[in-house]
Amino acid sequence: MPAFAAPRHSPASDPTSVAVTPRKSRLRSDPDAAIGSPLRKSPRLCKEGSPNSSPKIEVIRKCLKSSLNLSESPEKKQLTEDFVEGQNWDPREETQLRAVNETLHVSTAPASVVCRENEQNRILDFCKKCVKEEKAGSLYVCGCPGTGKTLSMEKVKVMLVDWANKEGVQHPDVLSINCTTLANMSEIFSKILGQTHYGKKPSPSTSSLQQLQKLYSQHTPGLKMILVVADELDYLITKDRAVLHDLFMLTTMPFSRCILLGVANAIDLADWFIPKLQSLNCKPMVITFCAYSKDQIINILQERLRALPYTVFQPQALELCARKVAAASGDMRKALAVCRSAIEMLIGESMLSSLDETEDQQRPAANDMMSNIVRINHVAAALSKVYKSPVVDTIISLPQHQQIILCSAVKLFREGKKSTILGELNKYYVDVCKSTMIPPVGILELSSMCRVLDDQGILKLGQSREDKLRRVTLKVDGADIVFALRGVRFFRNCLK
Amino acid sequence: MGGANPAEVAQFIIRSRIADPCFVHSLFSQLPDSNYSKLKYIISSSVTEACNNSVLLLGSRGCGKTAVLELVLEDLHKEHPDMISVVKLNGLLHSDNNCALKEIARQVCMEHQLQFSKMASFDENSKFLLSILRECGLAHKTIVFVLEEFDLFTEGKQRLLYSLLDAMQSVLSQAVVVGVSCRLDADQLLEKRVRSRFSHRKLLFLTSPGEDFQRLAEHILLLPMDSRLPNDFRASFNEKLLNILADEEFKGVVDQLCYSESSVSQLLRFLFCAVCHMDLSSGSLSIQNFKSALPSIQRQPKQEALKDCSVLQLYLLVCMRRLEVKELELCNFNSIMKEYKSIHDSFKTSDYYARNVCLRAFEHLLQRGLVSFQDNRGQGQSAEFRPVKLLISWHELQQGLQSFRSCPPLLHKLMDREG
Repeated sequence: MPAFAAPRHSPASDPTSVAVTPRKSRLRSDPDAAIGSPLRKSPRLCKEGSPNSSPKIEVIRKCLKSSLNLSESPEKKQLTEDFVEGQNWDPREETQLRAVNETLHVSTAPASVVCRENEQNRILDFCKKCVKEEKAGSLYVCGCPGTGKTLSMEKVKVMLVDWANKEGVQHPDVLSINCTTLANMSEIFSKILGQTHYGKKPSPSTSSLQQLQKLYSQHTPGLKMILVVADELDYLITKDRAVLHDLFMLTTMPFSRCILLGVANAIDLADWFIPKLQSLNCKPMVITFCAYSKDQIINILQERLRALPYTVFQPQALELCARKVAAASGDMRKALAVCRSAIEMLIGESMLSSLDETEDQQRPAANDMMSNIVRINHVAAALSKVYKSPVVDTIISLPQHQQIILCSAVKLFREGKKSTILGELNKYYVDVCKSTMIPPVGILELSSMCRVLDDQGILKLGQSREDKLRRVTLKVDGADIVFALRGVRFFRNCLK
Repeated sequence: MGGANPAEVAQFIIRSRIADPCFVHSLFSQLPDSNYSKLKYIISSSVTEACNNSVLLLGSRGCGKTAVLELVLEDLHKEHPDMISVVKLNGLLHSDNNCALKEIARQVCMEHQLQFSKMASFDENSKFLLSILRECGLAHKTIVFVLEEFDLFTEGKQRLLYSLLDAMQSVLSQAVVVGVSCRLDADQLLEKRVRSRFSHRKLLFLTSPGEDFQRLAEHILLLPMDSRLPNDFRASFNEKLLNILADEEFKGVVDQLCYSESSVSQLLRFLFCAVCHMDLSSGSLSIQNFKSALPSIQRQPKQEALKDCSVLQLYLLVCMRRLEVKELELCNFNSIMKEYKSIHDSFKTSDYYARNVCLRAFEHLLQRGLVSFQDNRGQGQSAEFRPVKLLISWHELQQGLQSFRSCPPLLHKLMDREG
């Protein structure tokens, strides 16, 4: 491996920083770092790396005020009494900000996994049983993305090895494969074979699968158990479902030593794709990771933030975020992304208020306590940014003739048709143009404007020998277009 | 360049500015709310705080997404030397997983002067990618993956996107994935587990022609303090320019320019054209330059073809149009001649020519591209019997007739009648 410059050690703590860094940070490259502790990146004080490089203050103030669109929340006064305050934090303080961002980043695995203890214990019990009885078995874990499956698998692997060492039982070899990295399907067998035989190369006449089958159909003393964790199992699905079949069948062989844990998104993968196993009565155990509910999301976020000595979020803000994300998908990654986005809104607001302070000193010092907590309006702005579609904004800023094309398309499709040809659209377009005395453009330019709209994903333009015969379909809801164009009186009347 | 005409120097300076995308988009870098500063904040926070991020840049073609990205990367290279390395992939070339991994390996090897082997297998390349991410994470170097034509990467099984975005989830790597696409729904095209790993940050590049164009024009056209330009020339040039830009006529020209396409690249082409038309003897831009630049940007090829037609050819076109209005199934040269004769009979015009002259004119129309055969069948038949169709719309024909130098009024009457 090429050697890079030696990693910098964490700098001596800045004497001017006030806050206490929450946790002792280790260097990732530190060789003495314990295996089980969550590895953290070492912080670097980068003095030039502030987000605001010297701009004009007036311009910032105007732009931030208009863009952030944050109204002065009238509930500021009442909410002070509502929650228990911890120590206050200053979002402008770099080390504090970095610590908060780290705790909320998706890549940071928390020390204890909350809300998944039940599932983890079930998986662990299954593995323990298999190891104790020296029997093979298969387990299938399913659930929507972002529900903590891979995270739990990592924890289970570690816990199993610890338990085996404590009990004095020989712990199994662990093999983790992500099925997206396989060049072809049968590579998974050669990987398993490589793990069991410690370097015995598969002979060219027999495939790895046949060798494994031969190995497992006879008694081999001293063969270690092997725990195979296969992530994203649905990448192994082929038309004849052979690979998936053979993989699960390996665990049913009489002398098999393989514990298989498969992870995927589809709930009924086992039922649809492995019918033979059902008939042989060795269906794999299925554990479903349900999407997170609102309370679970709040729990997890609070657990992460508990490590910080100061309060960052208002409880109602966390609840709003959890409710919205739970209602949409129950995906934890989205919740974390929304929280980080809300913190950025807060930073923007505090930059604005600091500019105000430098400008007029007579203003009484703003309520410092309230301005350093992420409030509901920040979270609401962050949620709208994540869930809003950019279509309406884009239609509003389209050039005039392209808007006329969309308007005529809406009128055309109102009559019940789903798709039409370019020649028809041209007729409607010319009619609309005539009604406003705007000279219409020719068919060539119309077709190139339609192509631009097709590139953006607003229309869909088919292929044809002749330009006039190309099929045109609207990919955007007609109601969105009407909403976007309501600001112009002409379109309002036209689309009534 | 002491003895050269200062107008030439000025033209040279302005043209080189227009051709430099970094200069053009640096106008928007001063605003803290612009996409430039948001993008810079995202990438620089990854460099300073060592966290991973992913962002999608959306906007129509020619609105400056790649230019702003290049500007941000250049500025960050200057601020944090040697801490950022960039890998560029394009959806048109590298949407296949194997191809993309090989390209990533090649670019990384080139940047760090490592040996690159073309024989490396897919497995080796993907292991190389993982170890590169790990090593760069340890060395606190950020890798920026730029994926142009992001929507083309979403075809097929999306393995590359999955592996890149999955690497963003791990604590060992330090990288930023920037996707550039013109499809507004690019993130809806992602598979659900890839979408879950994407951080849903989208930066929309919208162009609003009005105020933006004013600022852009001032930014580019106002001459800077330059040793090659005499001061008084510069001051008078700038003053005249500001007068033009505030003029109502100029605003009308800009409106007409933006009626069908209002991207930044369109505006730049217009300014380039206008500057090229600058009169070097007078030494400054005038409103006439802008007006004459407009038709060269918005060319009307059919109008230009009509201008060169003879009166007989115009008659033939009008006859074809009348036949079209009557919605006759078959329209070929014979039927056109019949219509032509009937017009002559009813209006007693003086423009009546023999059949072979008309046939010659008709063939010229075919070559010019104003009419064409309906289909490719009957290649053996002569041009008289094959069905033909008009390639020019009624409106364009009417416009052409109105601007024709000596159009007989009869034709106007015939055209107006069907309207």
